[in-house]
Amino acid sequence: MTGITVAGVRRTFGDVVAVDAMDLEVPAGQVTALVGPNGSGKTTLLLILATLLTPDTGTVRVAGYDPVTQPREVRRRTGWMPDAFGTWETLTCREVLATVADAYRLPRPAAAARISELLALVHLADLAERPTQVLSRGQKQRLGLARALIHSPEVLLLDEPASGLDPRSRIELRGVVRGLARAGAAVLISSHVLAELDELADRAVIVARGRTVAVESLEPGRDTPRPWRLRALDDARLLAGLDALGRVHGGPGPDGVEVEIRSDADAAELLAALVRDGVPMVALHPASGVLEHAYLALTQDALTEDRR
Amino acid sequence: MSGTETLGEAPPAGGPPPALPGAGTWTLSRAGIATVARLELRQRVRSTRWIIVLALWGLVLIGLAALIHHAVFAGTGSSVVTEGTDGWDPTGRAGAQMYGWVVVLVLVLGSLVAPALSATSINGDRSAGVLATLQATLLSPAEIALGKLLAAWVTALALLAVASPALLWAVLSGGTPAGRLVVTVALLAVVLLLECAIGLGWSAVTARTASSAVLTYLSVAFLGLGLPMLFGLLLSVAQRSETVTERVMLPVPNAAAPAEGQAPPLHCVSTTTTETVTHYEWIAWLLVPNPLVVIADASPPPRYRGGMAYDDVLTGLRSGVRTLRLGPAPRDSCYEVDATGTPRFAEDDGRSAERERLGAVWPYGLATELAIGAAFTVITVRRLRAPVRTLARGTRVA
Repeated sequence: MTGITVAGVRRTFGDVVAVDAMDLEVPAGQVTALVGPNGSGKTTLLLILATLLTPDTGTVRVAGYDPVTQPREVRRRTGWMPDAFGTWETLTCREVLATVADAYRLPRPAAAARISELLALVHLADLAERPTQVLSRGQKQRLGLARALIHSPEVLLLDEPASGLDPRSRIELRGVVRGLARAGAAVLISSHVLAELDELADRAVIVARGRTVAVESLEPGRDTPRPWRLRALDDARLLAGLDALGRVHGGPGPDGVEVEIRSDADAAELLAALVRDGVPMVALHPASGVLEHAYLALTQDALTEDRR
Repeated sequence: MSGTETLGEAPPAGGPPPALPGAGTWTLSRAGIATVARLELRQRVRSTRWIIVLALWGLVLIGLAALIHHAVFAGTGSSVVTEGTDGWDPTGRAGAQMYGWVVVLVLVLGSLVAPALSATSINGDRSAGVLATLQATLLSPAEIALGKLLAAWVTALALLAVASPALLWAVLSGGTPAGRLVVTVALLAVVLLLECAIGLGWSAVTARTASSAVLTYLSVAFLGLGLPMLFGLLLSVAQRSETVTERVMLPVPNAAAPAEGQAPPLHCVSTTTTETVTHYEWIAWLLVPNPLVVIADASPPPRYRGGMAYDDVLTGLRSGVRTLRLGPAPRDSCYEVDATGTPRFAEDDGRSAERERLGAVWPYGLATELAIGAAFTVITVRRLRAPVRTLARGTRVA
């Protein structure tokens, strides 16, 4: 399984450049996050990958096929969950999935089993015979996910799947997506909820103004310096302890003291040292998610320009 | 979470859906069309109060058919008594007249409803965000288009089915042979299909549902009303000043005075004048694609005893259009007088032979209608192709 490869893709609508120059790798067996401010071209890129738009230039391969010249080969292997969650309002959840299964030419008996399995997976089994117009936004999102999974795709394109989901559904979505990746699927997920992606994604591709800005690995234990937050029962003793260890730190705040830490190993070392020195430690955690930190740093310029 | 592990096996276990031969825009399979048609019909049945709509439609038709029945049979009351005495069948004549008007009624009311069945089908789906999810599946553009067309047509045929009591009443009133019924109903179905195809085409081309609805009704009105009006307006253009030869019988000049009680001898004289002639045969083809003309021209004539001067609306239209194609009649009132003194007109002025040679007009009309429907369907399919290079203004993919 080959996942997705995007190289030098550009797409304009009239004189609006939606995607300027994007490069992207989505390896099989991993969850790749597509992160960027509004209007940075995420949805346009996903539409190109979902065989609905042609790129102006650049090469795209989805599951090894070209979405422009071999769209059907791509469609057979790709599940797409759009951000606009339109649904056939009067059909029941089961009928929606059955229609999509027919559209993918799945054999009927196998499809019926698959539909029941998916309805259970997205916790809509008790709403299976209800028309989709009674579903809440989050339930529609979950139905949309089941729809994208109906033909067991090896590439999954999820456009803002977490929007509208309650905390529990988000955690469950994370479980589903991780499970698919573990089984070998290549998952590309666009989202604004950065903290969420930290735990969900293996890698993050950060885009801004239609360009790929950076590719961040989100593997734990990396050596990227970033601020951590330390809390102790006694701020004064914590500050004294940090000074004694020669660590650079900020002043005491309501959430504790911020310290620049180089890596996970560094964090473990610092904690051990503080405890040894008798500082009554309560908590030590990154001040921001890995992704959030990288994202804010990388998109700063783009954001300030956008907001001007 | 509970389902994760079972799903985890999904991609290798399921594998991609089976490969299908021929993977283009025009790939067609019965299953694909049926999938789309079923989806459309299911939504239509559930989202509209269709039983009420159909019941109202049927009641309106029966009510109007009753009025037509009353109107055409009102004058036959006394004649019915004389039926059989002279072989004249006034009931059959009234029945044929009623049938003609009921067909016109069904066509007009059907043309008011049928376009609405498809006129917002594609742009409506697009703005509801449900079209792209179909396009991203293995359904081909042709399957989506034909599935939607089929669903709209089936709905239109339901309207036609509910109209059948009115039609049957007219048939049972007499004068209408079975062949006439079969042909008119079949052609009504074709006209409804054409109107659905026009609506679907406009809904694929325009971004806003209001625009496609207006354009669809304008197109249908153009065929039904616009073309005859255009014909009428162009009559003043299709004129030419030309020399017209007229042949009349005039008394022979300087002839000896006829004997008592005898007509003066006459002979045939050709006179030529220059006058403005309206060549309606030049523009008569404008009437040919008109749905009513096609139905009227193709339907076998009514049959009833003594029924020579068919004066129902359909037969009238049929002979009217066929005569219009011939152009102005030659002006020839000459005749020969045979030995017994009986005037004998030329056996044939050539017009009926010419009319025979030109034949029926409905094949051209029907072919034109089918071509229009096919063109709109091709446009629809092309507009459903994905991935798209260009987007219409104001539209989104999803």
